[in-house]
Amino acid sequence: MNAANQMTAAEHTRASVSDCRRELARDYAVGLQRYLAERDDEPALARAHELGRKALAHGLGVLEMATIHSQAIVGALNGRLTSADKARLLDGLERFFMQALAPFEMAHRGFWEANVILHRLNDVLEGQAKRIAFALHDEAAQLLAAVHLSLADVASRAAPETARELQAARALLDQIEHRLRNLAHELRPPILDDLGLVPALEFLAESVSKRSGFRVTVEASIDHALPDIVETTLYRITQEALNNVAKHAKATHAGISVRQHTDRIVCSITDDGVGLNRTPAAAETRSRGLGLLEMQERAAALGGQFRLSGPDTPGTDVTIEIPLEP
Amino acid sequence: MASTFNPEARLADLNHRRESGMAHNKCEARVRIQCSDDIMAARQRGRAVASKGGFSNSDLTIIATAIYEVARNIVEHAGKGEISISLIKDAHKRGVEIVAADRGPGIEDVSLVMRDGYSTGSGLGIGLPGAKRLMDEFEIASELGKGTTVRMKKWAT
Repeated sequence: MNAANQMTAAEHTRASVSDCRRELARDYAVGLQRYLAERDDEPALARAHELGRKALAHGLGVLEMATIHSQAIVGALNGRLTSADKARLLDGLERFFMQALAPFEMAHRGFWEANVILHRLNDVLEGQAKRIAFALHDEAAQLLAAVHLSLADVASRAAPETARELQAARALLDQIEHRLRNLAHELRPPILDDLGLVPALEFLAESVSKRSGFRVTVEASIDHALPDIVETTLYRITQEALNNVAKHAKATHAGISVRQHTDRIVCSITDDGVGLNRTPAAAETRSRGLGLLEMQERAAALGGQFRLSGPDTPGTDVTIEIPLEP
Repeated sequence: MASTFNPEARLADLNHRRESGMAHNKCEARVRIQCSDDIMAARQRGRAVASKGGFSNSDLTIIATAIYEVARNIVEHAGKGEISISLIKDAHKRGVEIVAADRGPGIEDVSLVMRDGYSTGSGLGIGLPGAKRLMDEFEIASELGKGTTVRMKKWAT
């Protein structure tokens, strides 16, 4: 990442938005004047609609539109303050403004729709993970057990040397079984459905700790049962955060803390590793970035917030805050 | 949906219902759409018809906006077509129905054009998907080589 280049790019974007904003403000003021002056006003209203579309496409926000509108009003009111027809003027201002905002309304509704779909998609993915986990854990494990038994059977009737080789094969089978069980747990720990978030996090902490060689502690205070989707989201984010710690942080300790408040739940994952700024390889940064984005989106899907410690603090601190229905 | 499509039959059906007084449909305005001036005309007629239907100022804006989006779609993708606007009512509510029909190239996969950014290339949720979100009811039917009909309704609250 080149911070200097990024700054320049951001400044470029800002500069072109402000150029575009000036141009839009001018066109808007002209369009509004024309609308207020013309009797046949539909083309002027359609122009407002087009200006709104353009503003939306150039990344302007609703508040900027409000500013552009108020500035245009100042122009439009010039010399009109004494007019007897103030009500008509105000009505015209309102119509023109609403028309310019209509594209934002469409986009806004699209956002809500997408959010609902995102929720549903999350449910679908969790359902799939559950099914795959079950297939790995129960079905595949049963088949492996059957292979185990047949091998044992063959071994008991085989020459000693062959029996030793079969024994080695059975040891491999044990490893496969172990891996499958771990994989199934990572996909969708049955413990999350059976016992809830805290035992699932404790189990996760233990297995990450065993696998990756740093200590993971869990500190939780949860008074009431949480909605399934909140539990799943917190579990997944914690899982992803611990993966990041294992991959990049070179930490000796990671801490998971979950606290339920009356109106929200706060979960943070901290470590004493190298912190965010000091993971040099570009490939690492990329894969890490994707994980962060996913965590952020999972939290956002529940109206939650995702915070990350700054680049110059020691260690890393990932905090998620999700609002709870009272 | 696509296989039952016939824009002429739909318009004929609409006319028939108007003439025979079936249902309570009354076709109030019909505008040929071929160029951007026609889009203005459709907006204007739509607003005029809807203003008789008890809509608020913001609903009138929404209706004009949706008409603009479907009319623009006709100009851009079919070249020409027709938009009819009628006041409608059922047992409990009054509303406005807008039918936009063209005999343009048609759309092979309707679900594709209803995806954000497909026809506008911007993904901002305007265009046909935007019109759908603004209205209470929205149907689109299309057949390759025959054309496309969008039928949408907004109920007065």
